[in-house]
Amino acid sequence: MLPTYCPSCQAQLKVKCLKCESCQTEVNGSYDLPVLALLPENDQQFILRFVKNSGSLKEMASELKLSYPTVRNMLNEIIEKIKTDEK
Amino acid sequence: MKSKDFFGLMINPFTRIAGWQAFGLGLVVLVVSAIIGGFGNVIFDGVIDMHLVKEVTMLHSFGYLTISTLTLVIIMWITGLIISKNFRFIDILGTMTLSKAPFLILGFAGFFTKMPDMNEVMKNPMIVLSSTSFIVLMILTMPILVWSIVLMYNALKISCGVKGTRLTFAFIIAIFASEVISKILIYYIF
Repeated sequence: MLPTYCPSCQAQLKVKCLKCESCQTEVNGSYDLPVLALLPENDQQFILRFVKNSGSLKEMASELKLSYPTVRNMLNEIIEKIKTDEK
Repeated sequence: MKSKDFFGLMINPFTRIAGWQAFGLGLVVLVVSAIIGGFGNVIFDGVIDMHLVKEVTMLHSFGYLTISTLTLVIIMWITGLIISKNFRFIDILGTMTLSKAPFLILGFAGFFTKMPDMNEVMKNPMIVLSSTSFIVLMILTMPILVWSIVLMYNALKISCGVKGTRLTFAFIIAIFASEVISKILIYYIF
């Protein structure tokens, strides 16, 4: 799992360096992490499942053995987190 | 199943079951409650209310339970419209119907409870203490009503996806309003 917050002061981390495994070129800078990467791992898993189920909450509910409104509430909470992270 | 999971499911089954499934199951339990209440002389004459009576017809038993459940569903649906923008009516209908399931236990209790003579009770209220079965029913009623109210709270919480103070205040007002309105409707219709 990609670390997204500083273990020392809990501030949001930035990407400083990216490396090409093929030619060993390194790209340095200060890049923001993608919004989805800022979410906790279980939320990222939820989004993956959601996409794999073609965005069908009914199918998600049946797969997770949860009720439809429970799954919809989980999605709403993720939406709120994304909105907060985007600010 | 672990006991903690079982307890969680007992007070909030709506994370697993809602919508038409909950409505179907709730409806079966309500029909059985009305039949048992009819034979056991127990009436559910309010959203969070039950009484032992000397005699009750099946029409009254079903009528009271239907009115109280429909009132609960409609008031909670209106509450949902006020506090949430994203919910389905079927979830409110299903979860609220199922949240009245604990009343089934009270329906059974009518078979084992001897109703004290009300004329005697009016003269001497302490006479109710001489009926052990009546005291047991009174003690049993409180946790079952609390259980049902907790279920109704969780039904609104899950169905509407709302949390915190707004949900608590809205629920208290809604449950009070539905109890009063169901009482008035029962009084005028029967």
